[in-house]
Amino acid sequence: MVILEVRKVVKSFGGLRALQDVDLSVAKGEIRAVIGPNGAGKSTLFNVMTGLLAPDTGNVVFDGEPITGLPPHRIIRKGIGRSFQITNIFPRMSVFENVQAALFSHHGTSRNPLSLARGFTRIGEEVLGILEQVGLAEKYDLSASVLSHGDQKRLEIAISLASRPKLLMLDEPTAGMSRFESRETVALLQKISREQGLTLIFTEHDMDIVFAISEKIMVLQQGAVIADGTPAEIKANPEVRKAYLGEEVTEK
Amino acid sequence: MAFLDLNSVNTYYGRSHILFDVSLSIEKGEVVSLLGRNGAGKSTTFRSIIGLNPPQSGEVVFKGERISGMRAFRICRKGIGFVPEDRRCFPDLTVLENLEVAIRREKEVASPWTVERIYALFPRLQEREKNLGSQLSGGEQQMLTIARTLMTNPEVLLLDEPSEGLAPLVVALLAEMILKIRKEGVTVLLAEQNLHFCAKVSDRGYVIDKGSVKYEGPMSDLLINEEVKEKYLAV
Amino acid sequence: MDLSFLTVQVLSALRQAAFLFLISSGLTLIFGVLNILNFAHGALYMLGAYFMYWITLYIVGTGGFLLALVLAPLGVALIAAVIETGLLRRIYMQEEIYQLLLTYALVLIIDDLAKIVFGPEFKSIPKPDVLSGSVTLFGGTVPVYTLLVVILAPAVALLLWYLLHRTKTGKVVRATSSDREMADALGINMSALFTLVFAFGAILAGLGGALAGPARTVFPGVGTEVIIESFVVVVIGGLGNLWGALIGSILIGSLETVGIIVFPEFEMSLIYLLMVAVLVVRPWGLFGRPLKVKALSEKNLAMEAQEISPVHFSVHPAVRWAPLLLLLLVPLVTGRFYQYLLSQIFIASLMAVAFNLLLGTTGLLSFGQAAFFGVGAYTVGLLATKAGFGTLPALFLSPVTAAAAAAVIGFFCVRLSGVHFAMLTLAFGQLIFTVAYKWYGFTGGDNGIQGIPVKPISIGGLAGIDIGSNQAMYYFVLLVVGLSVGLIRRIRSSPFGATLKAIRENGQRASYLGVNVKLYQWTVFVIAGAFTGLAGGLYALMEKAISPEIIHWTKSAEPVFMTIIGGIYTFVGPAVGAVVYIVLNSYLVAWTEKWALVLGLVLLTLVLLLPGGVVGFVNEKARQILGKSGCIRRWSFSKSAK
Repeated sequence: MVILEVRKVVKSFGGLRALQDVDLSVAKGEIRAVIGPNGAGKSTLFNVMTGLLAPDTGNVVFDGEPITGLPPHRIIRKGIGRSFQITNIFPRMSVFENVQAALFSHHGTSRNPLSLARGFTRIGEEVLGILEQVGLAEKYDLSASVLSHGDQKRLEIAISLASRPKLLMLDEPTAGMSRFESRETVALLQKISREQGLTLIFTEHDMDIVFAISEKIMVLQQGAVIADGTPAEIKANPEVRKAYLGEEVTEK
Repeated sequence: MAFLDLNSVNTYYGRSHILFDVSLSIEKGEVVSLLGRNGAGKSTTFRSIIGLNPPQSGEVVFKGERISGMRAFRICRKGIGFVPEDRRCFPDLTVLENLEVAIRREKEVASPWTVERIYALFPRLQEREKNLGSQLSGGEQQMLTIARTLMTNPEVLLLDEPSEGLAPLVVALLAEMILKIRKEGVTVLLAEQNLHFCAKVSDRGYVIDKGSVKYEGPMSDLLINEEVKEKYLAV
Repeated sequence: MDLSFLTVQVLSALRQAAFLFLISSGLTLIFGVLNILNFAHGALYMLGAYFMYWITLYIVGTGGFLLALVLAPLGVALIAAVIETGLLRRIYMQEEIYQLLLTYALVLIIDDLAKIVFGPEFKSIPKPDVLSGSVTLFGGTVPVYTLLVVILAPAVALLLWYLLHRTKTGKVVRATSSDREMADALGINMSALFTLVFAFGAILAGLGGALAGPARTVFPGVGTEVIIESFVVVVIGGLGNLWGALIGSILIGSLETVGIIVFPEFEMSLIYLLMVAVLVVRPWGLFGRPLKVKALSEKNLAMEAQEISPVHFSVHPAVRWAPLLLLLLVPLVTGRFYQYLLSQIFIASLMAVAFNLLLGTTGLLSFGQAAFFGVGAYTVGLLATKAGFGTLPALFLSPVTAAAAAAVIGFFCVRLSGVHFAMLTLAFGQLIFTVAYKWYGFTGGDNGIQGIPVKPISIGGLAGIDIGSNQAMYYFVLLVVGLSVGLIRRIRSSPFGATLKAIRENGQRASYLGVNVKLYQWTVFVIAGAFTGLAGGLYALMEKAISPEIIHWTKSAEPVFMTIIGGIYTFVGPAVGAVVYIVLNSYLVAWTEKWALVLGLVLLTLVLLLPGGVVGFVNEKARQILGKSGCIRRWSFSKSAK
């Protein structure tokens, strides 16, 4: 069953075509990588899919519903979670509060101005459950800003999980992590996907990770899809090789 | 001791550790490539050298003098020029003004770069002299940022992904430029993903991946080293 | 309309525009390069005028008028260079509000120092005879001095253009304002350039003052009037844009001249109305661009400098309630003075705590809270005097009207952020101030409203409770403020409050939680407005008289000070700040004339040394000491609580 369908999306900035007729179809529960050299349009594609940018033409269908051009907060409510390349957490709040804020929003309690936040024990338990899932339960009362980079990334994933997404989009989930931290994060993502049937779309520059966990890989170059297939197919694709190593420079 | 040395440089962005014990050694007059995929740490290496992201440990030594810890403008005045990857020419300044702001008089140089010499090297810039930086094409902006940095009379030029996003013809032109710049006696350190481009202009290369140096050797060896290419550069 | 009239009016508009341009060009230049909105720019203008006065009087005489016109700005530049290298340089990495406050502290200090050195009275600067006369131009009589001004200012504009476009340094300045980091990597010494630009901006302000001084008058604090007009000019033109400053000056200069003729009552309101209109259509001003987000590395530094440790340590309930008990006992042992002082503190605390719901909790710096305070106060004042309302109904309506005003103003303001948000709230605040100040028929104009009756309160048909006495008023204010502050505390600790904090920390991430960020910001703006209005209502009842001064923007600065003194990221901080502020104010005013100077120095010290405020500092120390002794109870979420 297809959960996300991107059809013929075009997005230009001034004269620059950041995305040209991009098509993408992701099945439920799939782990899908989107790769490509710098400036290939990965972030633009993510931004279009999560409503930060509206495409010039083309559309995005999620779970059978068109979501093209909706603002981020509405798209999130439909079940798309996102984590960012630059760690995107609430730094001067505790680990617990970070996830709690996400759950309040998910349960529609954010608007309640008169009850005490800590009175929502059910939500509190849910917070701890999610923190346990990502391995941060012990650090619940630390300020998010003092966590190690790897832990901050986990926290970000925890925040994204709190809105109970059907699809999670991750922008370079292991950027800036030590080898050990990135191995752990990858294992975590695989576990979550397996246990909850969660669909993952991610970009990543660490090719070991891309090839270790993706079921399918899409390659973008200068805004266009140049390949889309299984890891084996991508490895064998000469176009992809050229995109990464550059063309032979011809003598003038 | 080489002309420019990086000794076990470790650099962080906030709390995230980006460079792990990076050591490079560049001789005077060389063109050296720093190859690696997106996010491998190439730009951070450059920013560590020029002082925009100073290393937390390790040192950068230029002509026998430790420059790590100095502020960027001092490092520039010592003779290291940095051309960033996203072509940051000053958009509200004309081409000529972009060049003029980089002129430095603090340092005595035998044959300083002048606007005339720059125009001889980049004739296209002369044609667009009166245009604003924001009105140039990608290739022209790239030339302008390189030319602007040359105006500071660098002895070492750090070029960050100059070929990125340029049409093949422009890339070929760029390769010629780099060779010409080298002939003028400037040492070049080139960060690139494009292996063939590097092979054309440089003698030696480093391959960097996940913030540490994985390979070092002549470009001719690297070109035929399928294992390194497979593992760190291709997919 | 005849030609002579037109000539006189056009020249008068141009003269006004010329003064505005001289000041605002420096202001916008400094903002463009240093990214600091310099409150002290008006004070530098004032110094220019005083130096002019001093130099013409004691050194060169009126004959050396033109020489003085050169020397005075140079003197200002010297002082500016000292300010930049000694103070500003330390806080470039800090958040915007600290930069704003530091320059505001300088305003207070410089104003008071000017009072000490030059005396509190108005000074007029003598002009040489050549410049004192007037000439006839197209039948209209025009002072020679006006001609000098309208010739000199365009000349300065031309010179400025020349410097920026034709000199190496000027080009470097333009390059730096578009990409600081790149300029740095090209070998340009940022520190030196910043000092240079700040000093140069000060020359322009100083020249403005030196030139305006002889045409207007000089007195301590003249800068605070000038600076707001200049803010309007640069915000309309687009922050950091010199062209914008020029066009803005001409627009405002003309509008003021036309306004005096056509709407003499509301001439002042017009410029704020124009600013609001411009920002609603073009949020970044006529020639402005959205401000660049600071580089991540810079932000990280700032963030780690003020990490807030969320480790909760709870205080025994007895400790928490003890102060309240003490406050209940106060009237039994003290007299009128202390009861009045404490009531003042309560009202100020409510305003500050409500303000901090915006700043500390949500990250919005409002510089227009006095507007809501005023709306609340006038609601009570008008209803009680003109409509015969009882005390409670009138007071009950004060947060309602203030909330309504906040709903309208907030609708426009929450579309902006950072400095622009602050400036738009300031403009709306001043708009309301000017209306209250001039609308004699309704608000009583600058006379305000006197003799507000405080009728006995009757609840549910019970016999009236008289709160007219000092003691009864004390308890009444304590009760209303206590309940309100408790309610604000509750809001802050609620899921809604948690969401506001998330918005403060990371608005983009919050929207990815499914939160409609603008809606939440608007809601909290309205809530804060309502509580501020209630504080205003209480003020009207307590003072029994109000005047438009309570709406002036300097009143909006008070909750900002209190919050910074006490600590932004604590709940009680603003209230503690209110105590410090009011006590300092009452005692220092009685004790010394130099109240503003002391306040300025206190602010300066806090911004530089204790950015977490008094309470933040105490918390941190307590945490360190208690942490070592093991007294801190680690906050825990109990799983068993069902």
